[in-house]
Amino acid sequence: MASNKLMVGLEIGTSKICVVVGEGRPDGTIKILGVGQAPSRGVRKGEIVDFETAMKCVHEAVVDAEQKSDVMIRSVYVAVAGSHLQSFNNRGCVMLPEDRDEIDERDVEDVKINAREVSIPAQNAFLHSIIQHYHVEGQDGVLNPIGMLGQKVEADFHIIHGVRTRIQNSIRCVKELPLDVEDVVFGGLASAQVVLTQHQKDLGALVIDIGGGTTDYVLYSDGVVKQSGCLALGGDHITNDISMGLRIPMARAEKLKIEEGSCILGNSLPGEMILLKDESGFAGKEIEREMLNTIIHLRVREGLELLKRGLEEEPYLTYLGAGIFITGGCSLLNGIDHLAEEIFEIPAHLAHAQTTWGVTSAVEDPQFSTAIGLVRFAQVMQTDRPRRGFRETIGKLFRMR
Amino acid sequence: MIQLHKNYSLPDALADTVPVKVVSVGGAGLNALDRIVLDGLEKASVVAINTDVQSLTSSVAAHKVQLGRTRTRGLGTGGDPELGYEAAVESADEIREALTDTRMVFVCAGLGGGTGSGAAPYVAHLAREAGALVIAFVTLPFTFEGKRRATQAREALGRLNEIAHSVICFENDRMGDLVAPQAGIHHAFAMADTTISQSVRSVVNLIQRPGLIRIGFDDLLAALRVRNGRCLFGFGESDSDNRGHDALTQALKNPLMDRGRMLADATNVLVQVSGGAGMTLSEVEVLMQELGRHVNEQTQILFGAVVDGKLGDRLAVTIISSLAADEDLISESRDGATLSNVFAQPPVREQHPPPQIHIEPEAAMEPVAHEESISFEQPVAVQATPAAESMPGESEPLPVAPHKKAVPHTDEKAAAKSVPAKQEILQFEPVTRGRFEKSEPTIVEGEDLDVPTYLRKNIKVK
Repeated sequence: MASNKLMVGLEIGTSKICVVVGEGRPDGTIKILGVGQAPSRGVRKGEIVDFETAMKCVHEAVVDAEQKSDVMIRSVYVAVAGSHLQSFNNRGCVMLPEDRDEIDERDVEDVKINAREVSIPAQNAFLHSIIQHYHVEGQDGVLNPIGMLGQKVEADFHIIHGVRTRIQNSIRCVKELPLDVEDVVFGGLASAQVVLTQHQKDLGALVIDIGGGTTDYVLYSDGVVKQSGCLALGGDHITNDISMGLRIPMARAEKLKIEEGSCILGNSLPGEMILLKDESGFAGKEIEREMLNTIIHLRVREGLELLKRGLEEEPYLTYLGAGIFITGGCSLLNGIDHLAEEIFEIPAHLAHAQTTWGVTSAVEDPQFSTAIGLVRFAQVMQTDRPRRGFRETIGKLFRMR
Repeated sequence: MIQLHKNYSLPDALADTVPVKVVSVGGAGLNALDRIVLDGLEKASVVAINTDVQSLTSSVAAHKVQLGRTRTRGLGTGGDPELGYEAAVESADEIREALTDTRMVFVCAGLGGGTGSGAAPYVAHLAREAGALVIAFVTLPFTFEGKRRATQAREALGRLNEIAHSVICFENDRMGDLVAPQAGIHHAFAMADTTISQSVRSVVNLIQRPGLIRIGFDDLLAALRVRNGRCLFGFGESDSDNRGHDALTQALKNPLMDRGRMLADATNVLVQVSGGAGMTLSEVEVLMQELGRHVNEQTQILFGAVVDGKLGDRLAVTIISSLAADEDLISESRDGATLSNVFAQPPVREQHPPPQIHIEPEAAMEPVAHEESISFEQPVAVQATPAAESMPGESEPLPVAPHKKAVPHTDEKAAAKSVPAKQEILQFEPVTRGRFEKSEPTIVEGEDLDVPTYLRKNIKVK
């Protein structure tokens, strides 16, 4: 079983906790052995606010996954999210010593360290440094400079960093269970690994993972990550708006959003009402459908417009050949792809994990994109295939505790 | 001093505008001035002073003074401070004319070259003679520019330290921290200009903007009181969702701040927070709390808050403080002072009644300190006597003191007046955040996204 190593992805989401157990095949595919999930409490906007409660929920989900996949889970890959995550592109540069002109691993390592030498706030830690392109002696677009001749190596990196202690909170929560944390991965980045194919990354694509508490996004252009980030805005906000606008309890609002909600306006008949049934099945309150949709529409539109404004600070949005891919729990919202298409003026698709097989119900559910993405991430890390986009992250930094 | 506070009751008109002039000397100063003008500075007039006609003509400043029409004939000084000084002396009348009717003068110069090092101290001296408060913003050259320029810069800095009320000094080498390693050299210089521009503008704004909690010149001097010390300056501005934090981070990132580590040793820290009408109390509170972590418990925080509609969604933080000199800095500037006495001073003596203004506070100001007009309007009658230069050290604190007395009326009063009027602008937490009531707010572009969109957009539901 050495070649079929078990990999487990754990996403501590705002609305639910997902655990995906996967098995890497020698041919590079992943087989999903089982998924576990549990409703999440004690998490707001992607970050833990109630440690004890969150821990219990994680435990529940892990136990569920163990039962369904019939394996023992010892170590996991954890996804992190939260508005504290930030990213930027930076270029590192290294000159080779006079007496040597063949570039080797050391130089590549040096250039990576060099690229990290930028000031991030003192309390922040690097989460990912993702290589974009190397430049050797002015030659652009070098994919692997090792073995090439040149005096000057430069490398463009996309760097994601976040507040160290907040990232550590997720790790602590898992370690208390006790489970080992193999690595921490930005949720959006994990989703993108399974939502997009390499071809789509090359063409240029934007993955928007709208979850319960956060909206993570990753923009690929030329096959590499150019922009990424996390907005603390998600399905919870829609539910909250509905609950406040229609004056119904949160649980009812959530149900209404899932069953009846849509973010397309003008699709309902004038005066069309939705009858809310209470628990006993008796007719309760009546709600105008258009009003429900207006509330949802305004919120989703605002979020997407905000995202667009943020992305427009750099020019990559115009180079998206493959379009926009929306995943995460909120992508199930009726009409969200049409709204995104209208706002971004780029074709938008609903997406879920690709290139995996096994428990298809899980694979096809966009809510599991991140957790499956973690498994994919783990696979890439473990086979240590020198694949563009990933290098070892500095998980050690967090594992020290 | 405290009693004087109480006795003062000046007309409010005074509190509104203090005539301020930004004077730049030399090539580097001019570059910085251009930056300042281009960045926009409403409440101050600018004067460009240089020996080099070419750079003067290309400057965007409205008022220009050419130094040494006969000495240098419109050329530069070739890096010779003595020549710069002589040129300035030759054009003394023109400079005086340019400096009339002003109560505060900011002298910007890049030290190390001829005009900047030679003429800037003299200009500062003339400004003080005209009765203005003088703050110098200077840069020290990059190390790679050579030892000679570094020595010249130190000498000039030493002299400026004696003449100006306070000197804010930027080391160009530290600018390197701000600039990405692969950025062009012009970028590094531009960054130095930008930093000076930011600091001048923020200090002008600090004094000119009527605040909710006003910061006056006295506060500024208190923050900078440590002489020969190292000035800590930081300015940050942000309109992001977490603008308080971002602005503070940016301010602490300033090369003079060393990411806030320096602040731990400061005794007085001046902080001004300014923002548009949307600035909330909680924002300011969080920001100050965060800053509090960087300073010592004993540190006195001089806090000012300003609501300025022009800032729109932006929130700006200015931090000014000073540290007692570390040994090397002290010896540097002391060295500078003595060196200047030995080498560079001679031209001073030969040319002109020595420009030693230190005795001015002792002789003229101290006795009249109780009068309101003090030094501002009074052209300093007492021309310096040659003997004066003997005790530069002791005279230093004195110029600080009288002005300390003179200024308070501009702030305490104004603050007391404006607070009740503007208090309602501050927004408190909106009550309608539902389940996000207790969680960290998501504030993007100044809007609290936890509040339902339809409420914020005023779209009627139901």
